[in-house]
Amino acid sequence: MRAVRWFIAIVVIAGVCWLFPLFHVVTLKTAAAEKAAVTFNATLFAETLWTNQLVPALPKCSPAEALIALIQTDPAAAKKKYSRGAGGGDSYFYFVAGTGRIIAISDDEISIAVTAGSTNAEISLQTGLIFGNALRDGTGLLSPSDYPNSQDFNDISAALNHIVETGVLPKLREQAKVGAKISFAGCVEVDDESSGLRPLKVIPIQTEVQ
Amino acid sequence: MKTNWLKLALAVLLVTAAMLFTQTSAAQSAPKDKIAVVVSTLNNPWFVVLGETAKARAIELGYDATIFDSQNDTAKEAANFENIIASGYKAILFNPTDANGSIANVLKAKAVGIPVFCIDREINSTNAATAQMLSDSYSGCVKLGQLFVKTVGKEGEYAELLGIVGDNNTWNRSKGFHSVVDRYPGLKMVAQQSGEFDRAKGLEVMESILQAHPNIKGVFCGNDSMAMGAYQALVAAGKDKDVKVFGFDGADDVVKSIAEGKIVATGMQFPKKMAQQSAEFADEYIKGKRDFAQKIAVPVEVVTKENVGKYGDYGKK
Repeated sequence: MRAVRWFIAIVVIAGVCWLFPLFHVVTLKTAAAEKAAVTFNATLFAETLWTNQLVPALPKCSPAEALIALIQTDPAAAKKKYSRGAGGGDSYFYFVAGTGRIIAISDDEISIAVTAGSTNAEISLQTGLIFGNALRDGTGLLSPSDYPNSQDFNDISAALNHIVETGVLPKLREQAKVGAKISFAGCVEVDDESSGLRPLKVIPIQTEVQ
Repeated sequence: MKTNWLKLALAVLLVTAAMLFTQTSAAQSAPKDKIAVVVSTLNNPWFVVLGETAKARAIELGYDATIFDSQNDTAKEAANFENIIASGYKAILFNPTDANGSIANVLKAKAVGIPVFCIDREINSTNAATAQMLSDSYSGCVKLGQLFVKTVGKEGEYAELLGIVGDNNTWNRSKGFHSVVDRYPGLKMVAQQSGEFDRAKGLEVMESILQAHPNIKGVFCGNDSMAMGAYQALVAAGKDKDVKVFGFDGADDVVKSIAEGKIVATGMQFPKKMAQQSAEFADEYIKGKRDFAQKIAVPVEVVTKENVGKYGDYGKK
C-alpha cells in the first residue's frame, strides 16, 4: 500500500514537472541566436526609416531661399519659424531643401549660392566624414522616448550617417562641377550661431546635379 | 453702554485673533509631503551637486526632502527604495546605479503609486519611470571626439578611461567619442580601462597605462573625476605637457583646470538644470499632471579654453 502511495506521488510530481518544468536546457548556440534576434539592428532600422519615412518626408523641408533670407535679416525669427529644438539647449536643427548653383568644391564640402544673383556660399553641403545626430534629430521623425536603451537610439545616428557616406556622397562628388545647378535636401545642426549659419552646413539626404 | 460695546468689540477681536493663530499653527504643524532624492554616489562632487540641487528645489516647492546615497551599489539602492516606500514618500528623484539593475526598484515604487523621475542616468525601460531627464552624452562626446582629433592630430597613440561598465552613460560617451575617432586609422587606442568614474581609480589606472604606453598623446576620460585623476598621474610622471586630457561632466575643478590650460575640454552636462527640472516634474505630478515625455535629452556643451569664461558653478554663468 505504502509503495503504491509512493508510486502515485512520484507520478504526480513527474507530471507536474513535465507540465511546468523548473528549468529549460538551451544550447549556447541557441541562446546566442535568441539574443541576436532581440538585439536592436540599427542598420536595418535606419535603412527602413530612410526609404519609408525620411525620403517621403522631404516635401516637408523648409525652403532654403526663404530661410537664408530670414537668417540674413533676423536669425532669431528664422529659428522661431523654421527650426526644431534640441531639448532646451543652445543647439537646434533645420530640415531644409532648395536649389542653387555650385560655386566651389573642396574635399569636405560643396559650396552653393541659393539666392538669385548671389555669389556667396550660403549652403555648404557636407561631403567629408559625417558625424552627429542632425539626420536623426533634424526631421522630427524619431523620439528618444520610444527607445528603452539610448544606446540603440544613438546607433541609429551612426547608421544614418553611414547611409549618407555610402549612398549619397559618392554620386554627388562624382557629378558636382563648379557652375552646375544643384537641388538638395538635408539636415542642419546649428551648434554655434556665429559659425553655423553662414553658410548653413547641410548633411545631404538627396541631391540632383543638372 | 459705550463701555459694553467696547468690551464686546475687544472680545470679538481677541477671539478672531485666537482663531487665526490656531489656524496658522495648525497649518505650520501639518506634515509636509515628502520627496526622496536617491543618488548613485555622494563620493563624487558632481553627484553631490545633483542631489543637493534636487533637494533644495523640492524644499523650495514646499516639500520635505531627503537624500539617500546608494554608494554605487544596487543592493543599497534597493534598500533605499524599500525604506522610501515604507516611509510614505510622494515622489522619488532618482539617479540610478545601473541601467538594467535599477529597473526593478523603479517598478516597485510604481506598483505602490510612487512616481520616479530619473535624473542624468537612464534605466533601460520606457514603462517604469514617469519621466527620465538625461544628458545627451553621445552628442556631447561626438563633439569632444571632433575636438580630440583637431587637438591631438590624426595620428598617434591614445588611451581611454571608461566609467562604470553597467551604466549606459559609460557606453554612450565611449560610442560618441569612437564614432568620430575610429574614422581616423592613424589614431591608435592602446589602452581602454575602467576607472569606475572615480578619481583615485582614474589616477591608478592612468599610472599603469603610462608605464605600458609612455608615448600616448591623449587620454579621453568618461567623466571629470577620472580626468582629474589622470591629470594627477601625468603630473607625477612629468607628462602633463605632452598628453592632452579630455573629461566629461562640467565639474567645477575641471572647468578651472581648462581655464588654466591643464585639461583641454569637458562636456558641460548642466546637473543643476536637470535636478531642478526633475523636482518641478515631481511637484507637477503630485498636483495632478500625468502626461510627461518619457525621455528628455538635455544637450551637452563642450567647454574649452576659448569659451570657458561662459561656464562655471556646474552650468552657464
